[in-house]
Amino acid sequence: MRHLKVGAILLSVVMLVGGLWAVPLALGQEQPRRGGILRVALAADPPSLDAHQEQTFAVTQPMSAVYNNLLVIDPHNYPKVIGDVAKSWKVSGDHLTYTFTLHEGIKFHDGSELTAADVKASWDKVVFPSGGVISPRRGNYQMIKSIEAPEGFTVIIRLHHPSPPFLTHMAHPANFIYPKKYLDTDPNYFKTRAVGSGPFKLKNYVRGSYVEMERNPDYWKKGLPYLDGLTYFIITDTSARTTALRSSRVDVELRFLPPVDVHAIKQQLGDKIVAAKVQSIGNFGVTVNVGKKPFDDERVRKALTLAIDRYDAVKTLSSITNLELVGDIMHPESQWALSKEELEKLPGFGRDHAANLREAKRLLAEAGFPNGFRTVLTNRNIKMPYIDLAVYLISSWKKIGVEAEHKVEETATWSQSRLNREFALLVDPYGSTTVGDPDEMLDKYVTGQPENWGRMSDPVVDDLFALQSKEMNEAKRIQLVRQMSRRVLGKAWRIHGLWTTRLEVRTARLRNYEPLPSHWNNRRFEDVWLTAK
Amino acid sequence: MWQYILKRVLLMIPTLLGVALVVFLLMHVVPGDIALLILGAGEQGGDVNLSELEKVRHKLGLDRPLYVQFFSWVWGIVRLDFGNSLWTGAPVIEEVCIRFPLTFEVAVFATLVSTLIAIPLGTLAAIRQDTWVDYGVRVVSIGGLAIPNFWTGILLILFLVIYFEWSPPLVFVPLWEDPWENIKQLFWPIVTVGYRNAAVSTRLTRSAVLEIMREDYIRTAWAKGLREFLVVVKHTLKNAMLPVITIIGAELAFLMGGLVVTETVFTLNGLGRFIVDAILRRDIPVVQTMVLLTAFIIVFVNLIVDLFYAWLDPRISYRTAKASQR
Repeated sequence: MRHLKVGAILLSVVMLVGGLWAVPLALGQEQPRRGGILRVALAADPPSLDAHQEQTFAVTQPMSAVYNNLLVIDPHNYPKVIGDVAKSWKVSGDHLTYTFTLHEGIKFHDGSELTAADVKASWDKVVFPSGGVISPRRGNYQMIKSIEAPEGFTVIIRLHHPSPPFLTHMAHPANFIYPKKYLDTDPNYFKTRAVGSGPFKLKNYVRGSYVEMERNPDYWKKGLPYLDGLTYFIITDTSARTTALRSSRVDVELRFLPPVDVHAIKQQLGDKIVAAKVQSIGNFGVTVNVGKKPFDDERVRKALTLAIDRYDAVKTLSSITNLELVGDIMHPESQWALSKEELEKLPGFGRDHAANLREAKRLLAEAGFPNGFRTVLTNRNIKMPYIDLAVYLISSWKKIGVEAEHKVEETATWSQSRLNREFALLVDPYGSTTVGDPDEMLDKYVTGQPENWGRMSDPVVDDLFALQSKEMNEAKRIQLVRQMSRRVLGKAWRIHGLWTTRLEVRTARLRNYEPLPSHWNNRRFEDVWLTAK
Repeated sequence: MWQYILKRVLLMIPTLLGVALVVFLLMHVVPGDIALLILGAGEQGGDVNLSELEKVRHKLGLDRPLYVQFFSWVWGIVRLDFGNSLWTGAPVIEEVCIRFPLTFEVAVFATLVSTLIAIPLGTLAAIRQDTWVDYGVRVVSIGGLAIPNFWTGILLILFLVIYFEWSPPLVFVPLWEDPWENIKQLFWPIVTVGYRNAAVSTRLTRSAVLEIMREDYIRTAWAKGLREFLVVVKHTLKNAMLPVITIIGAELAFLMGGLVVTETVFTLNGLGRFIVDAILRRDIPVVQTMVLLTAFIIVFVNLIVDLFYAWLDPRISYRTAKASQR
């Protein structure tokens, strides 16, 4: 009897505690709501519908909803890589063989089943493209030796050498799985058509105007998607996108908007919208053409970097641009970044700006330029943040007697000047469309790499990059990357600028959605919903 | 008359060929490479692999000699094949057809609106010269000339958004499919463009009417005791219309390719934005075709205007035009 009483009391306590927990849980957990069309402002015009062959978010953003990938970045647990059509995978002990097991029963929109043959055909198109196919991200997959589909739902990928970011690269959002039968007839089939296995089907596409998608009722992830459809309105002008959001003609802008525009939207719509600030993985700085005098002289490069007060630049520029963070060559909030103490020891990152300026002038004098010199800063004709940053840099360099003429070029000309090395100093960003792995971010500092626009060449940097690229022990890899960072910034191979954030504006009705750092990612919208108006 | 029209049409061919050649050469003189943009040179994370770059150039035919590129395009035109957009790969004519109805509608209706506003207002200002009516019309027309139409457009949109929480729809629906949706989208752009053009035509109508009203035959008409309506409409306006028609024709032709700013402000998928995007991307077949199309429209509208002259002024005849060309 006594045991019963104790048991009853314990049960009551458990129920009470359980109940107390359950109440906020019930309040906090909103039930998904089915229905509604999400209207999205797309900031650029897609050249085609085939994300494999295009290097622009304008294709990946809308088309992600139509397809599945082998792996994806977890939209709710960044930067974890999770399976999409891959149910699981095994890695061999030498890290040279990855065996992926696929989900069974996945149907393409034409009713055919997705098998390993489709995965192989799609990945072959990306890694080993045939003559008439362009593969702009092919360079990321040079570690892949072969792709095999020995069984219906098994894919084996063999590598030339162990590669720490292999799975991250495999989770790139643009690598959709296409049905093999269409690729066999025409490798360019998906430039104008879309047959995927994703949560939405392409319903209508008017070039230059909009992309419309409808719910796939047979989606293989049961119960999903919640939305009835998606409509992407192509609005290339920033102020027109802002107006579209202000007038509630669109629900979300997936790239970024300038702070002043977001402020105006917030003032108009208040709590009806959410403006999320995301730490995007992009750095804006200056590439130095080391083949041109006097930039072959380390002292001159150091003087230019010392003249910039990056902490003041953040204060000045963050209210008008997306430049908000001081950091080394890897994102300051990543595991790869140097500590603040270490960073502040590097040229141009010390807090005592007056001392930095004195040192800059001393170095210039030592290099034979006691009164400074004249040069040209080539830039792209985009205000935020290219021109804003350049104006700040030019005024900083004036303090040490360096007069930089601001040469602004439109994108096509700027990219050709960059390719042909027709610049002395060039405002030049770099970044990541996935999670910012060093392999993706740092190849621009390696001798002979295509994106090493300034043609810097430092054997120490090359060795460090090669070592980290094959180091499977993450702690050791981090140390190698930090060494590389210290070397690049210590030698002022790049006049490093600031890291960006991204202001993404969405309707508060959109639930179960958080933006990821790259605006390319988390665009499938399979498990999000819209609350009632 | 038909001989005159045929001659004018035949003269179009060398004119258009010349225009095409100049544009082709200009596009190759200006630095910039669409292949780089296709590989994402302007994008974050863009990886310009040099072997891929060569592959793209080869695929687009940009590695062929310039004269081969030009003449293969001209040969295509002869067969009514305007080539494919280098950016989208779609036939240029298909891209133009998507955008033409919107631009055509805005251009035609804006011209119509501006004409309907300008001719009565300009005439009224002239016959009531130096009265409050004239001052009012002058203020409105000078305002239209001084205020850029993109600013008018932005103000209109913000006004609608802030005070009515409404702005025009984003998707173009042709007039014949859903007139109400079409009007909702295009009403304000037409008003914006129409107001600006009306300002020019109003000023011109006013000065032309004032000039004609000082002619002897108008004084004679007044002396004969004709009613004001007859003097103004029958004797003055018809004769004052020559320069006005010229400017209206020129404005209409200009609008067919020059609605860039209005299209951007109102998010319209028209030919103006299309050609500017093509220039920025160095999409040469699109630029050439669009310039050719615009040149054709200008030449064609000029021909129509010239034919109108003869109707407005019986002293001008096709024989006169022919004789003057001799």
